[in-house]
Amino acid sequence: MNTNLKISNVTKIYPGCIANDNVSLEFNSGKIYALLGENGAGKSTLVKILSGVIIPDEGKIYLNENNLKLNSPLDAKKNDIGMVFQHFNLFETLSVFENLIIDSDEHRESLREKIDTIMKKYNFSIDLNIPVLNLSAGQKQKVEIIRCLIRSPKVLIMDEPTSVLTEQETSELFLSLKKFSEEGILIIYITHKLKEVMQLCDEVAVMRRGKLVSVSEIKNENIESLANKMVGQNLKTIKKKKAKTSSDQLIKIANLNFTSEDPFETNLIDINFSVNRGECLGIAGISGNGQSELFQVLSGEIISEKNSIEFNNNYIGDLNPQERREYLMAFSPEDRLEQAAIPQMKIFENVALNNFKSSNFFNNGLINENKIKEHSKKIISDFNVNTDNIELKSQFLSGGNLQKLIIGRELITSPDLLICFNPTWGLDVGAINYIHETLIKINEQNKSIILISTDTDELLKLSDKISVIHKGKLSKIMNAEEVTSEKLGILMGGAN
Amino acid sequence: MIIDINFIGLIIASIMASAVPLILASCGELITERSGVLNLGVEGMMIIGAISGFALMTVTGSLIIAIFGAMLAGVLISTIFAFLTQTLITNHVATGLALTIFGIGISAMIGKNFVGIPGKEFPVFFEGLKDTIPLLGPILFGHSIVFYFAFALPFITSYFLKKTKIGLIVRAVGDSPESASNQGINVRLVRYACILYGGAMSGLAGAYLSMIYTPQWIENMTGGRGWIALALVVFSTWNPIKILIGAMIFGGLTIIQFHMQAIGVRIPVQFLTALPYIVTIIVLVVISRDSRKIRLSTPSSLGKSFHKDN
Repeated sequence: MNTNLKISNVTKIYPGCIANDNVSLEFNSGKIYALLGENGAGKSTLVKILSGVIIPDEGKIYLNENNLKLNSPLDAKKNDIGMVFQHFNLFETLSVFENLIIDSDEHRESLREKIDTIMKKYNFSIDLNIPVLNLSAGQKQKVEIIRCLIRSPKVLIMDEPTSVLTEQETSELFLSLKKFSEEGILIIYITHKLKEVMQLCDEVAVMRRGKLVSVSEIKNENIESLANKMVGQNLKTIKKKKAKTSSDQLIKIANLNFTSEDPFETNLIDINFSVNRGECLGIAGISGNGQSELFQVLSGEIISEKNSIEFNNNYIGDLNPQERREYLMAFSPEDRLEQAAIPQMKIFENVALNNFKSSNFFNNGLINENKIKEHSKKIISDFNVNTDNIELKSQFLSGGNLQKLIIGRELITSPDLLICFNPTWGLDVGAINYIHETLIKINEQNKSIILISTDTDELLKLSDKISVIHKGKLSKIMNAEEVTSEKLGILMGGAN
Repeated sequence: MIIDINFIGLIIASIMASAVPLILASCGELITERSGVLNLGVEGMMIIGAISGFALMTVTGSLIIAIFGAMLAGVLISTIFAFLTQTLITNHVATGLALTIFGIGISAMIGKNFVGIPGKEFPVFFEGLKDTIPLLGPILFGHSIVFYFAFALPFITSYFLKKTKIGLIVRAVGDSPESASNQGINVRLVRYACILYGGAMSGLAGAYLSMIYTPQWIENMTGGRGWIALALVVFSTWNPIKILIGAMIFGGLTIIQFHMQAIGVRIPVQFLTALPYIVTIIVLVVISRDSRKIRLSTPSSLGKSFHKDN
């Protein structure tokens, strides 16, 4: 049976921002629809309205001409709308099976049969009896999808599903989605990744600042035209010039091991690499393979053996982050609001936090506020942070602006080495472009970067050399020109 | 000296009796905590249960009214906690501490008129069978209904959490209230229910103390048992069967150290009194060392307020 989903004049207003401004859209089954937009464009709000998590201020939703009242997620489920969120809605300590049956009133045994049938049909293989926390991100997503399929939905909404997946897992997902679509399920695919839209979808709706900008068929679009619609201006494409080959070694990691007491962390095994001046070393990998531990070891959050890290001819393995900064290292951690900045503190206070000794921010233990504010204003203007209020609490900055502020804070001391971990995670195209340009500029100034990232495109764009981390082990270091994203994908999956 | 085998049975039975209030309160608190709510008011709810039970027994003369009244009193006082922490989103720790202080204060006030009044005898079951089996006789027979209920409760709780749908929902809410809410589970309702259940069990534990264990009202008669119950929940890593073990060890050492003091063992009294606390914690820490299992049974959202935003 044909399914028709209609969104009619939906508006949702939050204090200070209009998340959805009079949005109307229509979907028909048999096609895969993309909902495209930058972060904050309002696509997540729209799908949360469709799944009953958020109640709109105005507007109506029709499924096959029936006006739906979606006041809770339960209503959406009862009306055959299934949703896989970007952040999984799973219970980590419960088993896969328990996760699957929790929202169903059916009998356990009949559910088990149903689940088995679904898993066989789509070639999913997951142990139902292990706790969810032991699963990989791709498997967790499958659990979410199975949970939707149990209710044989008419509509399946996927919110940024590939942000945690490898290349292989992504293509598996696409195959499944196409299969679902052929079977008559209406698929709405939310993303900000243009490549995926071109690969997967039939029609695309673009949103910008809460408004629907365009609806068109994919065959009439290309990546550039979609990018311009999404950002609202013409984007320049950036490309890295090939670095001058330098043999001047800046940092060397030798036989570094880290064994964690926490069973949910990854041990690092025999890490060896070196980075020359003016070079960018990219470290690829699926998240949870030791990246976070490697970053902590490099930044000094985890202290290692003195001789395991040689920087600028000094052994610094036993130094803490502050002491490493004195040797001109700089760090941009993954979690911007938890590790890099303190959310409740003002912008200028956060700027002061990583500059203790080498600055004149503090006189005899007193804070020299004027000096810090002056310095903060310089960062804000130099690094294009879109605010002029340095008294603003950091938590109110958007991800992109916060990342610019953090990178700016780190770079203004002109360090020799910047270590960053997923610097563009969750950012929109404009901000990503800016960060990428900045990183390329660093290399051009003959300074080095260690870029730990789960985004292969980013790594291929920025790195001179690339290595892959898998289960705490580094692969051999390859020249970036010899590497393709397929090859990285295979290494990330643990094959040789 | 020949030790009478029935005497050992009696000692074991008295140990079990002293463990009853701990088991009841711990199993109640365990359900509360499994839903992600940390209620530090157990001591307060227990003592409210103790005075309510004793007062109702004295006034109405009915044991049934007294027992259920004590549970209801526990429910009522925990409703205050539930309203504050779930509806007004106050801090769990501060609210729980306030509840305990409130409970101790108000029980002393109500209890003034009941000091020195003798309690009633509570009916026991199978009294006649006590001497039929050596050793096991005094352990198995001649106890109150609350006693039998307490020893069944850890197993019922375990079954409830593992095998029933509602148990699964309680665990899910404690693991991730956000996910639960997105799955259409009414997190607030589940947490309210778990808090009230915990209140009822604490009330029953208090009533056991004032009506069965030592049938009289003494001010502050719970004597820190609520805190021990709380500690048992944590150190048992939210496992009802380990609560039973912990409560037995604690009860056992409390009884034995009394006997040791009476015999005149030359160990400082303070050390003997402290012994049950230390040993219980050590034993529970040792039997709960598997960090993987701890991670799986610890409610991840424990003590964190959940606020659903739209």
